[in-house]
Amino acid sequence: MAKIIGGIGTSHVPTIGVAYDKGKQNDPAWEPLFKGYKPVADWLAEKKPDALVFFYNDHATTFFFDLYPTFALGIGEQFEIADEGAGKRPLPPMRGNVDLSIHIAESLVNDEFDLTTFQDRPIDHGCASPLPLLWPHAPDWPGVIVPIAINVLQFPIPTAKRCYKLGQALRRAIESYPEDLKVVVVGTGGLSHQVHGERAGFNNEDWDMEFLDLFVKNPEELTKLRHADYIRRGGAESVEQIMWLAMRGALEGEIVELHRNYYLATTTAMTVTLYEPA
Amino acid sequence: MNPQLAGLEGLEGTYVFDLHTSHRAMKLNRFLWKMIGADARAQFSADPEKSMTDAGLSDTEKDLVRRQDWIGLIRAGASFFVLEKFARVAQRTNLEVYAMMRGETFDEFMATRRVPECR
Repeated sequence: MAKIIGGIGTSHVPTIGVAYDKGKQNDPAWEPLFKGYKPVADWLAEKKPDALVFFYNDHATTFFFDLYPTFALGIGEQFEIADEGAGKRPLPPMRGNVDLSIHIAESLVNDEFDLTTFQDRPIDHGCASPLPLLWPHAPDWPGVIVPIAINVLQFPIPTAKRCYKLGQALRRAIESYPEDLKVVVVGTGGLSHQVHGERAGFNNEDWDMEFLDLFVKNPEELTKLRHADYIRRGGAESVEQIMWLAMRGALEGEIVELHRNYYLATTTAMTVTLYEPA
Repeated sequence: MNPQLAGLEGLEGTYVFDLHTSHRAMKLNRFLWKMIGADARAQFSADPEKSMTDAGLSDTEKDLVRRQDWIGLIRAGASFFVLEKFARVAQRTNLEVYAMMRGETFDEFMATRRVPECR
């Protein structure tokens, strides 16, 4: 039986990918960010999970607004990293496990999460920005990813509570997979930021800290908030933090926070956290 | 009104991208979105006017694109997430686009940030 051994919360700021590709790991302005991922990368190297399930959002790259799925699960032996306007990144394609992805799709749909599936489509920075900070990619990635995209771009988007329930359903899917795989669930996005309009650049460190504390101690409280609450408190695009709640749902029950790094340098509160079931 | 979004009416400088906006600005957003393709980028660079006409942009939208009026494009219904693809073609970083949307110079904007060197 497959098993969830932990959870990771991480920002997916595209600039992280740019800084990574430019080799800014030791640049004083970037070092606090990269160093903050080290304990999580070490934990992954030690625990050796077979798969990372990513709750992430597409940024109108894999899909366009003419047909925008609320929940979409990727199936394939590999997933190309998308060109988002600046050309291809120097990274190998991310690896997938077809049987595992299909099992999760079947389990979720039979559990009344009627999601979309996609194949043969590139994936953008929603997954690809944090992945190389978590896992090495040379000579190849050490495991597979299961990408589950959540619409947080075009309203109506799923409620915070619905995301939490998706995570609970994911856990049932994982625990019904016959192979003895170790799985880590990753929730991406946030924390506070706004990237459009005159309010661009908005942050709220107090709310970010409150979110991180409630996330461990009382996630139910976070599932009761409306999108408008997230937008007011953390900036318009911080509403994507509801994807962390999908990860939290998959880790239902008590958890311990093993690591937290918070680095608000310019516009997004870049955060990475690591959790294990208590 | 989507009850999840109720109460945001008075929130300044925020333009919620919902299905009403998406429907209204579909052609503009598709034009911006296509910039993830190398062919579309080459076509735009070679002949921006033809590229915009082929995409069915209105005169107002064309003018906003020509002037790289970022906040104007947002008000016209562009999603930031396709706008940033066009910003790559226009050789602008997201930080520069944020500054312009706020009506500030890049230096003014970066002076408000904690680690301005982080770019």
